[in-house]
This record gives sequence, C-alpha cells and structure tokens, in this order.
Amino acid sequence: MLAYIIRRLFYAIPILIGVNLLTFTLFFVVNSPEDMAVSQLGQKYVTPAAIQAWKQKNGYDLPLFFNAAAAGSGVVTDTIFFSKSLRLFAFDFGRSESGRDITSDVSTRMWPSLAVALPTFLIGIWVNICVALLVVMFHATRLDRWTVLVFVALMSISYLFYIIGGQFLVAKTWKLVPISGFHIEGQVWKFLILPVLVGVVAGIGSGARWYRTLFLEEANQDYVRTARAKGASELRVLFRHILPNALIPILTGVVVIIPSLFMGGLLIESFLGIPGLGSYMLDAINAQDFAIVRSMVFIGSILYIVGLILTDISYTWADPRLRLD
Amino acid sequence: MKPLLLWSDMLIYLLVLALCLFFLRLRSDPQIRDHWRQVFSTRLGMVTFTVILVYVGIALLDSLHFRKALDPVAGSPRGEIFYDNTVTSVLDVMLGGMGERFERTYSAPFALKSFEKQDMKDDNGAAFRDFPLLEHAGRHLAQPEDRGSDILTKSARALLWGLLAAAVVVGLQWYLLRSSSLPWYASWMTQAVVICLGVWLVSISRYYHVLGTDLGGADVAFQSIKGVRTGVLLGTLATLIMLPIAVTLGVMAGYFKGWVDDVVQYLYTTLSSIPGILLIAASVLLFQVYIDLHPDFFAVGLQKADARFIALCFILGVTSWSSLCRLIRAETLKISQLGYVQAAHAFGVSHTRILLRHILPNLVHIILITLVLDFSGLVLAEAVLSYIGVGIDPTMGSWGNMINGARSELSREPVVWWTLSGAFFFMFVLVLAANLFSDLVRDAFDPRTGIRRSAT
Amino acid sequence: MKEQSAVVMHVQDLRVEVVETGAVILKGVSFELQAGQIFALVGESGSGKSVTSLAAMRLLPNALAITGGSVQVAGQDLFELSEANMQTVRGQRVAMIFQNAMSALNPVQTAGEQVAETLRLHTTLGGEALRQRVLQLFAEVGIPDPAQRYTFYPHQLSGGQQQRVMIAMALACEPDILIADEPTTALDVTIQEQVLALIRGLTRSRQLAVLLITHDMGVVKNTADEVAVMYRGEIIERAQVAEFFRNPREAYSRRLIAALPDLTHFHSGCDGEALLQLEDVKVHFPLRKGVLQRVVGYTRAVDGVSLSIGRGETYALVGESGSGKSTLGRAILNLDRVSAGRITFQGASLHGLRRRAMLPYRKKIQVVFQDPYSSMNPRMTVGAIISEGMDSLGMGLSAAQRAQRTEELLQRVQLGSEFSARHSHELSGGQLQRIAIARALAVEPELIICDEPTSALDVSIRAEVLELLQELQREFGVSYLFITHDLSIVPSLAHRVGVMQAGRLVEEGSAEQILTRPQHPYTQALLKSVPRVDSV
Repeated sequence: MLAYIIRRLFYAIPILIGVNLLTFTLFFVVNSPEDMAVSQLGQKYVTPAAIQAWKQKNGYDLPLFFNAAAAGSGVVTDTIFFSKSLRLFAFDFGRSESGRDITSDVSTRMWPSLAVALPTFLIGIWVNICVALLVVMFHATRLDRWTVLVFVALMSISYLFYIIGGQFLVAKTWKLVPISGFHIEGQVWKFLILPVLVGVVAGIGSGARWYRTLFLEEANQDYVRTARAKGASELRVLFRHILPNALIPILTGVVVIIPSLFMGGLLIESFLGIPGLGSYMLDAINAQDFAIVRSMVFIGSILYIVGLILTDISYTWADPRLRLD
Repeated sequence: MKPLLLWSDMLIYLLVLALCLFFLRLRSDPQIRDHWRQVFSTRLGMVTFTVILVYVGIALLDSLHFRKALDPVAGSPRGEIFYDNTVTSVLDVMLGGMGERFERTYSAPFALKSFEKQDMKDDNGAAFRDFPLLEHAGRHLAQPEDRGSDILTKSARALLWGLLAAAVVVGLQWYLLRSSSLPWYASWMTQAVVICLGVWLVSISRYYHVLGTDLGGADVAFQSIKGVRTGVLLGTLATLIMLPIAVTLGVMAGYFKGWVDDVVQYLYTTLSSIPGILLIAASVLLFQVYIDLHPDFFAVGLQKADARFIALCFILGVTSWSSLCRLIRAETLKISQLGYVQAAHAFGVSHTRILLRHILPNLVHIILITLVLDFSGLVLAEAVLSYIGVGIDPTMGSWGNMINGARSELSREPVVWWTLSGAFFFMFVLVLAANLFSDLVRDAFDPRTGIRRSAT
Repeated sequence: MKEQSAVVMHVQDLRVEVVETGAVILKGVSFELQAGQIFALVGESGSGKSVTSLAAMRLLPNALAITGGSVQVAGQDLFELSEANMQTVRGQRVAMIFQNAMSALNPVQTAGEQVAETLRLHTTLGGEALRQRVLQLFAEVGIPDPAQRYTFYPHQLSGGQQQRVMIAMALACEPDILIADEPTTALDVTIQEQVLALIRGLTRSRQLAVLLITHDMGVVKNTADEVAVMYRGEIIERAQVAEFFRNPREAYSRRLIAALPDLTHFHSGCDGEALLQLEDVKVHFPLRKGVLQRVVGYTRAVDGVSLSIGRGETYALVGESGSGKSTLGRAILNLDRVSAGRITFQGASLHGLRRRAMLPYRKKIQVVFQDPYSSMNPRMTVGAIISEGMDSLGMGLSAAQRAQRTEELLQRVQLGSEFSARHSHELSGGQLQRIAIARALAVEPELIICDEPTSALDVSIRAEVLELLQELQREFGVSYLFITHDLSIVPSLAHRVGVMQAGRLVEEGSAEQILTRPQHPYTQALLKSVPRVDSV
C-alpha cells in the first residue's frame, strides 16, 4: 500500500517533466521570443532595438538551451530553458510580462479560488449522489424516465447560461446576494453563495445522471440479489450494499471532475469578479501575458496530478480488494 | 459571381462524404444494421436525428461561399470584373437578405422603434430626443397600431405556405417509405414543424426583426442561424482530427504492449494532466500571434477567421484524444486476449491483418459512441472558448461570440434578453438533440447495456 | 419414508412470462419440498430452473413477471404476502445460496458482517452475542479459524470458503427451506465434493428441505433424494433418484444420463510414432513488487512437464483450474513463452521460434478454444472465419477453391453450407464449436489442441461434439491434446491421460489405468468426485 503510493509519486516526476518540456516547446520553440516581443509591443512600428530591450527586460535574450558565452555552470543555467522552465519546479514563477511577481500573485489569489472550488466540489458530489439515489429508488417508473430526460436537458445548457441565469435571478431579480465582488473581511460567505450554487446546479445534470448509471450497474450485481434473498428491504439494499460499492467508481470518477472545476473557476471568477486564479488566468490570456499563462499551465498540471494521487489513495481506502493487496 | 472555397468548406464536404462512406460500409454488417435499427425504431431517435440533419443541412448550405460581382463602375477597364470583398453563402441568399438589414443598435423582437433614444430633428428643424423608427421593420405599416393584426395575417399566410411545402416533402417520403416499419411519422412531424418555422421566419423577417437586433444592429435570428455552421463544423471536425490519433495510438498500445504501451501511456497522461482549457488557450494565443505576424497569407478577412477556426479545431482535436485513447487501449487489451485473436495468432495471421480484420472492426462501437458523444461537448466548449477570448474569430458568427457580446446586457433596464435567448435556443436544441441521440446510440451499441438487456 | 417427512414448501402451477414480449418461460411448474430431503431440479441452460427458484422467492428481475400459480410455505401463499412480509420470509423461513459465491458476496463487507446482517434483520441479537453466533455458524460450516475469517473480505477467502460463508449466511436464522442455485458450479471438483457433503450433512442434521438446482447429473446422483428434469419451462420427469438412474422414462433424461462416464469401456492403447514431445517444459511468469517493481519471484504456471503424444492419439490433460494445463497448451502453440525445456514436433524444435519461422508448424498444430462465443470474431462471416487460416498460411488455394473447401468442411462438421454467410451471434454454442473445429481442420493439421472445448456446452450437445471429434480422428488420423477439468469425459475419448497439479504432471498412464487404478492421492481425490454409472 505504502509502496504503491510512493510509486505513484515517482510516476508524477516524469509527467511533470513532460509537461514542462511541452510548455517550453509551445512557448519558446514554436513561437520565438521575437514573435512575443512583436505582439507585446504592437505590430506595426517596432524597431529591432525595442525588441532587444523588451527581451532583455524580461530575460528572453538568453539562448534556449546552451549558453556558450557564459562561464562555468552558467553554460546551462544562463539559458531560457533553465531560467524560465526548470525554475518552475522550485515554484519560482518569475515575473509577468508586466513586471509583477507571479509567485506572490498566485499565493494571494489561490485562497478565493479555493474558497469557491472546494465547497462547489464537495457539495456538488453530495447533491449529485442524493439526487441519483432518489431517482434510483423510482427506477423503471415514469418518474425515472422523465428525470433522466431532465438531466439530459440540464446537461445541454451551456455553463455560461447557468452563470448568467444565476446572476440574473438570484442576485438581480431576487436580490438575495451581491451581484459580484469579493471581500476578504467580513461576510465572505455572502459572496460565496452564488458561485457555489451555480457550480453545483450546473453539475447536477451530468453528475446525477452518471451516478444513476453507476448505481444501476451495481444494482445488477449478484451480491444485491443475495442481499434481497437475506430479507433486506429495498432501502437497506440501496444504502448498505449498493451505495458503498458504487462509491468506488464514483471516487475514480472524481479525477474527471477536476478539469471541469478548473474551467468552472475560470468562468465564474471572471463573471462574478472574484479575485482568484481563474480570473488571473483569464486576464493573462486577454493581455497575452505568456509568463503567467505558462506558470498557470504548470500549476494546473500539478493540481491535476495531486488530485490523481489523492483519488488513488481514497480509492484504495474505499476498496478492500486494493487496500489489502 | 465567383465561388470561393474556404478550407473549412472543403473539410466539411470531405467530412460528410467520409461519414456517408463509413455508414455505408457499416451497413454490410448485419449486427451493426440491427443496432441502427434499434436506434431508429424509437420515436426519439427519429426526431433527434431529423433535428441533427436539419442543422447539418444548414451548415452545408452555409458552406457554399461566393463573392458577388460588383456593378461595373464608370472608368474601370471593360471586361474586368471586381468582386465584393464580403463573402456570401447560399444560405444567406436563401434567407432572403436577412443579414443585410442592419439597424443602428439594439431593438426588441418585432419592435418598430429602436431600443435607445437618439437625437433627432423634427420637420421644423427643432432638436428633440426620442426612440427612432427602425429602418427595416414595419415600414410598410400605415399605422403603428396595425402591427398586431399585420403580424397575425402575415404569419397565417406564411404558415399556410409552410404547411403546403411540408405536405409536398412529407408526401413524397410517405410514398417512398410506406412499407417501412420504422416510426417515420415522428421524423415527418419534425420536418413539418421545421419547414413551417423556416418559411415563417424567412417571410416574416422581411418586415420585422423576429428576434430583435443586437448592439451592432444585426438581426439576431440571422446571427443565430449563422452560428449553426460554426457549431456543427467544430463539433465534427475536432472529433475527426482526434480520432485517427487516438485510435492508432490506443490500438498500438493495447496490441503491442511493452515499451509501445509505456510510451503511449506516458504521452496521454502527460497531456491529460494539463488542464485542457489552459492548453487550448495557450495554443490559440500562440496561433493568434502567428496570424498577426503573417497577415499577407490571407486575402479576405473571412479567410483569416477561417484559418483561426481550423486551427482551433486542430488544437481541440490534438488536446482531447487522451480519453478516447485510454478507452481504445483498454478495449484492445481485452480483445487481444479473446479467443478469436488467439486463434488468429495460431493461424499465423500477420499483425497488420489481425489489427485490421480482428481488432479495428470490434472497436467500431467505441469510436461511434465517442463520435456522437463528443459532438455536444465540443459545441458547448466553443461558447466557453469564445467567451474566454480564445475561440472563434469575432468576425465569424458563432453562438459563443453572441453570448460574449451580450453577457452584460441583462443588467440593463429594461433587460436586453433576446440576443442571449437566440443563441441559447439554437444551441440548446442542437446539443439536446445530440445528447439524446448519443444516449440512444450508446444504448444500442454498448455491449454492456446489450448484455444487461438480454439478461433481464 | 416419504410419508414421515412433512411437506414444507408447495409450488403449484408456477407460470412466468417475459413482460415485454409475452414469451412463456415457465409453463406451470409444480413440486413439493420435504423436510430433511434434497429435491434436485435438473436441466440445461435456458430450461427455466433458475427462474423457478427466483420466482419462488419473488426475486425475479423486472423484465420477468409471475403470471400464475402459488408457492405455499406453512399454509401461506407467498404470492399473496405484502413485500414487507415477504422480506421476513426471505432469509428467515426460506434461504437461498447462489452460484459463484465470489460475485454473490458483497465485495466491500467483511464475511462476518455479511452473515451478521442476516441475523440482525430477523433476530434481536446484537453485540457480542451476535458475533458469537456468527463464529458458531462459521465453525458449523467448516470454516477454519472463524475469529480471523470474520474480518476477512470475500476476495481474501478461497472459493470453497466463500461458498461456505454463503451457506452460513443462509442458515443463520435456521430456515426451514434452503434453495441452492448451482451451488458448486464455479468450484473445482474436489472442493465441490466437500461443499455438497456439507449440504447433505446439514439437510439431515437440521431437517432442512433443500431445493437443489443443477445442470450436473453427477451432483444429482451423489446428493439428491428426489429429482425432477426440466426442459423448456416444464418438468418432464420426476422420480426418486435411484429409480431415475436405473430406469429413466423420457428420452431426454436418458440423454442426460448417457453423458455420465462409463468406466467399463476404454479406448485401447494407441502406438503411433511420437508427434509432439515435451521435455521438462517450464513456463514461469515474473511477479513484481515494491516501489521499483522488481521481480521478486515467479509464478510457476508450468513447472517441468514432460510428455509425448503419438500420431492419431488422444492425450487428455486433466487438472483443476490454475493447474497450468491451459498455459501448457498455449506454450506448445508458441502463444506463451517457454522459460525452459524443449518442445519438439516431428523432431524439430519449436520453442522460441520467431513468428515467421513458426508458420510451417502453425499449419500442423491447431487449436480449439473453450469459449465458443469469444473465439469467433463477431464481425466476420463463418465463411471468412474458416478460410482465414487457409489464406494466411498460404495453402496455395484460389479463392474459389477455398470457398469450395469451406463448404465441404461445414458439411463435414454436420452444418449446411448455408452457414458460411452467417455471423457468429446468430449461432448456438454447439454450432460455434463445430465451426471452430472446421476452422482448425481447414489447414489439415496433424495435432489439434482442444482447450476445454466442451465445458461451455450443455451436456446433450457436449456428447455430440465429442462424438464428432472422435469421428474426425478416425477419418483424418489427427492427434488431440485434450485439455479438460472434467474427468468424466475422459474414458470415452482418451487413449492416455496425464494429471496436472500446480504446474506438474503428477501421474500419467493409459485411460483405463488412471480411471480404475489411480496411484497418486490427488488423482484419487479427483476421481472420487466423478459419478459413475457402474456403481448403480
């Protein structure tokens, strides 16, 4: 078990290296620093001198991999690859194109993001499981068929409409919460209600429908028949036998949710004016700030891999067949 | 008139051709034919498929582009014709110039006056501020009060024509398909509704803006219809780009195992560990820089937008193959252990032949399910990407751009709801139809559900 | 005897239909269960025997519906009870055990907890008393070290122990009636015998009324008191077991009984030249463990087997699941790598040959697999399946000749030439296995490795396929390496028998020698569980 986790951690290293190389290739080989300088400085009237100055200011004037001009270890360290890419491993993200310190930006902005994402994630799973259980209780009835149709309809609505609709109804028409914004002092929860609500509601369609199929799949297993033959009631069968077993695939599926959390964060933060990592990223995209985008790609993959490992651990915890091997 | 073939036009026709061939080939297999029969024996299957076909049809019509010849101007050399710089499609013509009737800014559906006040001068030259009359709506009315009855009579007449057209279309099909046991009537009903709506929309939009106009004064109904091509094309093209990569790598990994498997697994874990949205955003940004630096490659503005669009499809395709690849790999691993592949080994059948005859045909159901399932996801993704600013070029009509342009308008008083509703409606119908259809396809083709059905 | 025991369950005119299509599954089934007696319901797959048991418990899947009849238990009609009342009957008055205990037990609940749940549902026991009762039950069904096994999850138990847990669960509330649905089908023969003995013992000691559902006439013969034969949703014959085997009335019953081994007639020896020779063959699979996945040891699937098969001979390789017999077959076919030893075919060494070098031998050694459904590509027609080998092994035949030969082969395996355009999912297991044989024969092999070719088939069809194999041997002089776990088909088939256990060949000899005078204790144990006709 411990060996398994350690092995998983070791597996993460080559993957992070891969991510690093991939982003490096995308940002520095496919597009040269010159291209970036031109697009940053405006296309029409750039002088080579201006480009050079910009590159120097941002540290892009070094060779990509090998600096023959430098002395000693500088041959390797005074390169773009080392200073821009390898430094990410030490969580040193450097400065943004506009000169701000990315590391400190990230460390202040991660808290609002976390405050939105974590409750959305946990409440979302809980709500989906509850809804799915409710539907499974009415399996093979008309109610079941219609709910599934409603789920599909909910899935077919763009996330953007959930945000727009939520903001319009809850904040504007009913005036229950502030329309947008975020203040650390005082009543943070007021600003969290809307994003969490939107995130949870938007996920019900696909989430509950998926969990329903998982539950039904388990309901077809032999051990369920055994439980019924023991004289267990339908409710007991559902909660004591089907649910614990279905939790295993639900847990593995959690990994799939992580990327959508990321995207959800991106949209909802910018819509509702929450100063988190999502809106940070979006602003960077709009300002074409490659340094920030690059750092966020790296942070995103670390989060994903951490999520993956956590899922694996919880998976072994939920499934004795893995735990006791 | 000069036809203009955009890259994406070419691709969409190639794509439709390829899909038709693919399905024709599949017909030769009785088991797959049975599966399709199961899909189409339900009314839901018929209705949703018809809806999807209507969207595809609109997209195809919107992909026949040409540039209009300009009227010869005095002084130009004889015999030389100049072409308009705006590109028109067959669909634009069929919609009867709906897209050419611009207003100044917002106007509500069926409104006669603009949404915003404007400084005007009355006949005496005195300045005042009021809602100006629209240029292309209700100009034929004698009295503004006649609007209600006018709409009604015009609608009734349009509906009558619509029903007539529907009767012809459905009657023809009825004659051809009367001996079929499938529930065609469900499809016919849908067709009738679509035809009536279409006729009504085209005829009434000559007098009014059915869904109002947007900030730039463009007709919202027209914009929404123009979004169809983008949505459909993106949904199919990205999947089709992703398919060969995913299938080739997945099959190789599952069949050859060993180091091939290790490499492929490493590739897709690495790729999938980067949040897709970031990877897409980064790639699109970089491509945008490329376009900006090489403006001379593209003669017409639409070509630039088109290049960006195709790049987006490629990027979506290249970044999203990992989940299908994983599925294909797992299934190939399973199939490789089955008796018929083992038997093929025992007969000394070559690897290529085993892959082509034994493994690939048995992966068809996964490919098909993915094809249909991913479609709706991609249509939804388009909207989000356009919102983030890394999607479709703003000059190209798309639902994402419509939403993006109108997102803050709900906070106006009175509320400007129609732009969002237009995009919402057209997108929702397509995605809902695709989702419901993909459910049916999965139920019919997924062996697991098949087993469940026969076991109970 | 019969008058003394009380009827505890009375099933009358039980009818079941498929809801959607209205197809009739059970056409009025009636029988009684008596205390202290085992009533066997025997039939082939699809005869409706399992549906009968599930219907009696009102546990049918939603797609099936009970349309008539009654099930009386202690004067009460179970079909008239409310669902809540029915739940008190299940597990308390009527208990059930299922085939394949591994999947029938909840994988995330401990064995003890699962048994305790039954008690908790129907009694007021709790705490330590509950635990003690479970331990007591574990001891009664013969689970070693009950206190430890209590905390085990199903996957930590062996197949036999899992089935014992199921039995303990069923018996926990001292029911009057036990329904056992193929309780031993998934188990190895030696363990099967132990579990059946346990059920027999409990029937007597607890005066249980047992409904035993099985497809295995051997199980019926060794275990049951009374037997009813089911065929297409009806009971066609019913008798006391001894009487039934002595004097079956229906032709179908006679066919079922005829499938039992006859230990009086054997094949005489066969002395063809040696075709295939194995010398000390080993197939080891590495076991990896730890952070770095180092090889810490080997699974010795085949651990030093030597044997030889002569021309025109049938060599039966017998053993339980996991004994390495199938791996040995795959090693001969060069589908699994041989770790050590020599495999020679007609004097030429086979092991370690590359794909291309192996091709000439592929023509001479062919294979028929166990599962007929998975051994045919569902996307290919039967014709394409049969001619594939001729095509890829370069028999030098034109397309027309191949088609001609395919047709001949189909006729030879008693299928019409019209089958060549069909797909595998339209055919039955027996038909598919004939096609698999035709496919192997197509390349004119000298040796066919038959890997449990009949174990997925019903008994009546099994006999036909075995008969076909023997005809073909007489006709073409082909040799068979017949891999099986079922000793009962050996006498009518094999010239020589090898018994495998844990990767080793523990005993070898002529069929007669092995089946009548086994030397090795393992062979004796295997043989003990085989029912014989001659002992009647």
